[in-house]
Amino acid sequence: MGKDIKQIAIYGKGGIGKSTTSSNISAALAKLGCRVMQVGCDPKSDSTNTLRDGKYIPTVLDTLRAKGKVRADEIVFEGFNGVYCVEAGGPAPGVGCAGRGIITAVEQLKILKVFEDLNIDIVLYDVLGDVVCGGFAVPIREGIAKHVFTVTSSDFMAIYAANNLFAGIQKYSASGGALLGGVIANSISAPYSKSIVDDFAARTGTRVIEYVPRSMTVTQAELQGKTVVESAPDSDQAKVYLRLAQNIANHNQSQAPSPLPVAELHEWAAGWASELLKMESGEVREAAHGI
Amino acid sequence: MLSSIESPRWTCALGGALAAAAALPRTIPVMHSGPGCAANFAWTQNGAAGLQVAGRCAGLSFPATNMQEGEIVFGGAERLHEQLRHTLQIMDGDLYFVLTGCIPEVIGDDVESVVSGYAAAGKPVIMASTAGFKGNSYFGYEQVLKAVFQKIVRPGSAAKRNLVNIWGIPPMMDVFWRGNLRGVEELLGLLGFRVNTFFGGQASLPSIANAAAARLNIVLSDVYGVEAAELFRDIHGVDFITSPLPLGAAASDRFLRRIGRRLEVPAKKIETIIQRENKRRYDYLEPIIDVYNDMEAQRYAIVIGDANYACALADFLAEDMGWLPELTVITDVLADDIKAGLLRQREGRSLIPAQKIIFRSGSREILEAAADDWTPSNGRYSKRSQPVFVLGSSLDRNLAQTLGAGHLSVSFPVSNRAVLNRGYTGYGGGLLLMEDVISAFILAR
Ligand SMILES: Nc1ncnc2c1ncn2[C@@H]1O[C@H](COP(=O)(O)OP(=O)(O)O)[C@@H](O)[C@H]1O
Ligand SMILES: [Mg+2]
Repeated sequence: MGKDIKQIAIYGKGGIGKSTTSSNISAALAKLGCRVMQVGCDPKSDSTNTLRDGKYIPTVLDTLRAKGKVRADEIVFEGFNGVYCVEAGGPAPGVGCAGRGIITAVEQLKILKVFEDLNIDIVLYDVLGDVVCGGFAVPIREGIAKHVFTVTSSDFMAIYAANNLFAGIQKYSASGGALLGGVIANSISAPYSKSIVDDFAARTGTRVIEYVPRSMTVTQAELQGKTVVESAPDSDQAKVYLRLAQNIANHNQSQAPSPLPVAELHEWAAGWASELLKMESGEVREAAHGI
Repeated sequence: MLSSIESPRWTCALGGALAAAAALPRTIPVMHSGPGCAANFAWTQNGAAGLQVAGRCAGLSFPATNMQEGEIVFGGAERLHEQLRHTLQIMDGDLYFVLTGCIPEVIGDDVESVVSGYAAAGKPVIMASTAGFKGNSYFGYEQVLKAVFQKIVRPGSAAKRNLVNIWGIPPMMDVFWRGNLRGVEELLGLLGFRVNTFFGGQASLPSIANAAAARLNIVLSDVYGVEAAELFRDIHGVDFITSPLPLGAAASDRFLRRIGRRLEVPAKKIETIIQRENKRRYDYLEPIIDVYNDMEAQRYAIVIGDANYACALADFLAEDMGWLPELTVITDVLADDIKAGLLRQREGRSLIPAQKIIFRSGSREILEAAADDWTPSNGRYSKRSQPVFVLGSSLDRNLAQTLGAGHLSVSFPVSNRAVLNRGYTGYGGGLLLMEDVISAFILAR
């Protein structure tokens, strides 16, 4: 039995910033001296782009399809600061079963013993959107990842997806599945958005581990094909990611969340809608100010 | 919602569909699924149909895509293309029938578009969607019928006054399907009709293509093939009638009268046929009648079978053999209105003694229901009567042993008999069934 590898899964609605956040966390963890691997579990296979100068790497499934079997050096690629990058990949859109694809790719990593051979400390799985089927639940099942962090903004759809993920975690939590480490609030810009995410976290029995502001620095870095940690290491945004990475490195204790039933979630959202309306009309300026 | 069925008396939709497609004339089934499916059907299904395991393009040797993980992840359409390309080159057939299993249906393979590409190129390729999670063997049989009626039967053939179609006898699920189809064909032949049986040696693809010319569709089942008959009527405008399986003489008499009347055969002609056939039958029966009396061969009976067989067998025992079928178990999972319909058929039949008809599917359930009924109640007399005989499937041997009863397997699965051309429909079939029942009962003495 080797050392205990910390395996973490990052989930969240599509386009919410999972890959951006994951890559910055990976880069920051590497800076902190960890041996990190990031596994993109999204058929889009762009999770690790900003760790490798904006370039795509061959995916596990593409290689598997072409060759029938794979070697570790055909699917693991080094990126910024020695971060190991893997993309699971997937079938052509509208064909086959991406869920089974994720299962197959994750199994390959196990079969090839890459974590052990590369002496990895932390693995980050960057997983597509909602938990749409069993395949996408694989990283949180059977104890592959121990901790899940969900990226959400204050948008209702993002929170809805997070709530769905919580339901998935809750389902598998009793049988050795992953537990919830917390919420990463991303693209926080408007003053009220922090309160919305805080409120959601409180109601579902979890906590926000970091607030990541919406920032031009992220866009600039992305356009250079880099993480913020690499391209603007002294920026405020980089400091946020470093703090987040440190938090995750120190994190040990995760919990089963209590997702809101759908009707309750809608009610909760409606409550916030009227709250925001009042803020807009100036009725509750005080509260808005306090944020 | 059902909980679970232990030792079910069917396999899955794909199994029933493969049995049906393989039974179509000059047809090559192409299975689009994982390799385990075929293995299951070869023995669990076809083997349990009187050992009809193999075939020219059946059993374990027929074209299949044998989907593996690669096809599941990336989609199986390419693999199916490859299989069809090669199959069309190598396998000599006039129809290629693609049948889908659970795997391609779960991952969403667009099989329809693959198949229609071949059809558009003038290749005789059709498909039916037969994922096991959609239904059992009977459902698969019905899916095949529907595809044939939609794609093979040509619309608008000129009507032929003496042509009828029959179906409702699912290959393999009806272990005696070949003989039974032939028996019904012969009965209808007595009335002067030519018959499209679709399946079996007597069928041909050109005659199937011409099926819309028929005067009437006769579904030899109150359950299987009825939806397909509605579809046939909607597409081709041919009406249908459902009928119980005419097992033996009494049922054949009824069948001839009912169908004959429907097809405007003069009553006098029908009665002449019935008299002649029964006279012939009695010629064969006479020699054994003394034995029947001397050996006190009358038996109480428990009859177990699917919706086609159960009541038809019970009627046969009562009407043709003078036995007392006291308990009939119908093993299909059926909707309430269909159950009621099956029960209604027994009304007003004087020769059939009062009996209990129940619906049970699991083999243990069946055993318990029957054994319970046969356990003597408190007091002076036992509720049920001995000696008793079990006419069911090979899964019912335990029940027969428990009751010390004779036993014959007729309904699926029949894994303790070899079945080649035997059939129990019609007058001749009734004699065969009587032979088999009496032989089994003699053996058990
Ligand atoms: N904090 C942020 N500030 C500015 N832009 C962001 C931020 N987080 C994400 N983005 C941008 O949002 C877009 C989607 O992010 P991405 O990480 O690809 O989402 P996901 O992986 O969840 O689909 C990217 O263009 C990214 O640069
Ligand atoms: Mg992404």
